[in-house]
Amino acid sequence: MAEKSDIELVTRVAVMGNKQAFDQLVRKYQSPVRRFFLNLTLGDGQLSDDLAQDTFIKAYLNIGKFRGLSSFSTWLFRIAYNVHYDYRRKMRNEVVKMRNEELEMRNDDCPTSADGSAASAYGSADAAFSSNPHSSFLIPHSSFKIDFYQALSLLKEEERTCVTLQLIDGQPIDKISNITGMPQNTVKSHLRRGKEKLADYLKRNGYDR
Amino acid sequence: MTDKDNLQTTFSDDRLLEHLFGEAARQEIADNGFSDRVMQRIAGMEAPAPSMVSCNAATQRLTRLWTLFCVAVGALLFYFVNGWEMLKGSLHVLFSSVATSLEVFLTTAPTVELRLNPVAVLLLLVFLLVVLPYQTYRRLSEAL
Repeated sequence: MAEKSDIELVTRVAVMGNKQAFDQLVRKYQSPVRRFFLNLTLGDGQLSDDLAQDTFIKAYLNIGKFRGLSSFSTWLFRIAYNVHYDYRRKMRNEVVKMRNEELEMRNDDCPTSADGSAASAYGSADAAFSSNPHSSFLIPHSSFKIDFYQALSLLKEEERTCVTLQLIDGQPIDKISNITGMPQNTVKSHLRRGKEKLADYLKRNGYDR
Repeated sequence: MTDKDNLQTTFSDDRLLEHLFGEAARQEIADNGFSDRVMQRIAGMEAPAPSMVSCNAATQRLTRLWTLFCVAVGALLFYFVNGWEMLKGSLHVLFSSVATSLEVFLTTAPTVELRLNPVAVLLLLVFLLVVLPYQTYRRLSEAL
């Protein structure tokens, strides 16, 4: 059967509830969506798959809201970005809650400010990602054997998202802006800072030779 | 560092990153049952509401009111222009003309020589009995 366009498949799902058409969309986009999450979670395969599943299910449930103003892939990546954002927020809240409970239990003599707790909790969430057992995953068949996720772990969340979308998924700046909901100038700033950090890391490790 | 140096550094950094990250960009992740797992979860769910129906309640209410308004206007017009009589007249004319045509055909049929091309008849039959049912079946099975 000839490959159908995304719009045709989306129409079949939205108008007729055709699940086979959605299956084709899932098969087509599973790789880029899972790769996007793998990069954002610094190589946590299980978490990436869970988030990718949530993304496709949200896309299915809300497919009637797709108006075709952007391409289907941009719309899908926007959902993926929101799913990851929600996950991060949930994680951060849980870390804060756990930390507060721990503090209450220990009845610590040195109280920490609320801001300090939140900041360190965010740091803990990052540390949780960084200490992930899969984070030392090397790109298969890479002649350079870059510790890819180690390099990405140096970036802030927004920088990592923008850099990943541009360098790996090949999205232009206007689409990154659509996906993340950030203004184009903000995207450019994140890209510039993220790339500087990555280039510094790679040069320090001798990859420019 | 001058602006020119900055530009050169940025350019060489970009090339370095594109070179090193290009391999990751080309990396395809094997499905390994992922799509099936997603579809299994979806199988238990109801189909999403069709996009036409997914508009908000206010829009739906307005649509219904507009339909009711149009039906009411149509009914009033039908009544005031004596629609029933018009409809009866039209149906009478239609039936009379069909009956007349049939009568004329039956009266003159034995004298009319029908010239039929057997190939054309065969093609018509193939179209009606094979192509049309097959296309209908194919479109229906794709849609459902």
